[in-house]
Amino acid sequence: MTTRPSDYLTKRLTDQMTRITIPIGPQHPALKEPLSFLLTVEGERIVESVLRLGYVHRGIERICQNRNYVQNVHVVERVCGICSHIHTTVYCQGVEALLGLQVPPRALYLRTLLCELERIHSHMLWLGVLAENVGFTTIFMYAWRDREIVLDIMEELSGGRVAHAVNVIGGVRVDVDEPQVDSILMRLDELEQRIETLLGVIQHERTFQVRTRGVGHLSAEQVRRYCVVGPTARASGVDVDMRRDAPYAAYDRLDFRVITAEEGDVWARTMVRVPETIESLHMCQQLLTGLPDGPTTVRARRRVPPGEVVSRAEAPRGELIYYIRSDGSDRPARVKIRTPTLPALSTLPDQLRGVHTADVPAVLAGVDLCIACADR
Amino acid sequence: MNDWLSALFALFIFPGFGFLFVCALACQWIDRRVAARLQGRIGPPWFQPLADFVKLMAKEDILPVGAHEWACAALPLVSLAAVLTAALYIPPSFPPIGGDERGGWATSAFEGDLIVVLFLFSIPALAYFLAGWLSVSVFSVVGGNRSLLQYFAYEVPFLMALCGPAILSGSWSISRIAAQQSQTVWMVLVQPLGFLLAIIGLIGKLKRSPFDIPKAKSEIGAGPLTEFSGRKLALWYLTLHMQMVVGIFLLVNLFLGGCGNWSPGPAALIFGVKALLILLVLSVASVLYARLRIDQLANLGWRVLAPLALLQMLVIIWIGVG
Repeated sequence: MTTRPSDYLTKRLTDQMTRITIPIGPQHPALKEPLSFLLTVEGERIVESVLRLGYVHRGIERICQNRNYVQNVHVVERVCGICSHIHTTVYCQGVEALLGLQVPPRALYLRTLLCELERIHSHMLWLGVLAENVGFTTIFMYAWRDREIVLDIMEELSGGRVAHAVNVIGGVRVDVDEPQVDSILMRLDELEQRIETLLGVIQHERTFQVRTRGVGHLSAEQVRRYCVVGPTARASGVDVDMRRDAPYAAYDRLDFRVITAEEGDVWARTMVRVPETIESLHMCQQLLTGLPDGPTTVRARRRVPPGEVVSRAEAPRGELIYYIRSDGSDRPARVKIRTPTLPALSTLPDQLRGVHTADVPAVLAGVDLCIACADR
Repeated sequence: MNDWLSALFALFIFPGFGFLFVCALACQWIDRRVAARLQGRIGPPWFQPLADFVKLMAKEDILPVGAHEWACAALPLVSLAAVLTAALYIPPSFPPIGGDERGGWATSAFEGDLIVVLFLFSIPALAYFLAGWLSVSVFSVVGGNRSLLQYFAYEVPFLMALCGPAILSGSWSISRIAAQQSQTVWMVLVQPLGFLLAIIGLIGKLKRSPFDIPKAKSEIGAGPLTEFSGRKLALWYLTLHMQMVVGIFLLVNLFLGGCGNWSPGPAALIFGVKALLILLVLSVASVLYARLRIDQLANLGWRVLAPLALLQMLVIIWIGVG
């Protein structure tokens, strides 16, 4: 079969006219961290997207091999600027398992407290980013204003707003006293009211819903295939939560609900994350009221006996896994970090196919990407 | 000689460029301040709009290679000129002074100026689209396309809503429509639906949130203005803000009875209060909603607003006949 040159030319021309390529990133207002997308667009619909990663790769896993176990606590804290505490928690848990240490219960409670405060702050940050990306600046401002309460509490506890340096191998380096507990509990009550207000606004504001419903859909089957974890998986009806499924720290002593939704779109993710924030608040209250007495650290040896360990926990974005291998020296032979953002990233081309260009920011915000985590 | 002077005064000081410039900066400040307070922020100091303008005027003016240079320079000027010309027909309608029954200070009021104003008002929208189209960036092309689509979505209900007062008062002169309301009732009382539609249309025309689709910053940067900088950008912003002022003045005249039968002093005050009210409505609307998508706006425009505008028009005709 032969093609006439004029047909070929017409096809070329129409292809060029209807398809344009829009770069999203590495610098783009919708992205808070560097990530690059090349979107091929027909009209306003996306037909193809190409993802590029690695703009903030810092070689943290390699750095860990050159430092000793104690120094590494501070290295892994810098994997992420939002969920820094969970990284040190998982790392310390792993090393403690290798050392065979029994961490005192008070330390476990304080660790868990910081984990949950961090989840609140991460989820509120996420809500703000999503709201801004769909053009709802007011919710963005409110969410970030109210998030200050949590940041203040964390600063009071540890001295840092996002990098807390609370965990040490064998416990935590901070402690709380009675008046502090009362003051934190009071502020958490206020925060709960504010989050409930935000939730009410979101549930009743139709413009927010038309921008998030049906956008960035992931089925439960896709979630399982891509190994998606955390709130994104729970919003598609896949009920996974490390806090309940494989309790660590003080989670086995807490009473909480795992929140799921069925729709699998950005709206469902909102309806998982925001109620989850309130659930976290309740967990913080339980932790503070039931705080056991006792020491906050046990002594840890500097040299770690040979062996390997897989440590995991529920980060604000889902299951975070550390693999640590020791050769008997004071430095790890290998540290491998698997962050929850990685599987979420691999779903993006699927989520973006057929989506309106205007919904790209909503989709990107919806899965709560942490590029620094994924790139390490 | 005196005619010359008064014409120059009208063009450059009042109600021309100088007056509109001050109003545009003031409106921008009030708007930003109100929105900020509603969002739990403090907002900028009063001189911020002026400082922004001066800073942009002083900044380097660059365009990407391949952009249509003189068109990109001409477009903001053309749209600014269109807005300023429209302003000449929209009186801060002071009551007739010196026996001028055509509508006082509106320098060039005539029967049918409403049509001219509406035409002049569409020029910035087209220039905005062309600015996106001619400045080569993908973001600006997408933004330009969106602005044109948006134009088709809001323009028809907007025009129909504005025709309401004209049909009811039997005149196509803005100052006469305004003057007539002080003898009868304000149009907003007779056609509240039309007023609402006009406000929604104005939000679409000014590309304000929640209809800031062509310049949605989390989606396509600054839309058609992405590649503009320096003086050209300053002029674009000035145009858009003056358009807001002129649009508000237009609505005050058509729906809120201009400034009624008052002497110039109180009239200015009353007119200012009415304009401020509309500005507040715009500011509140801008913080209340999430941004719509362009297809959602088109749906809203044609499935909801246009039929409502038609309904309002039928009611007006029925009232007018009956």
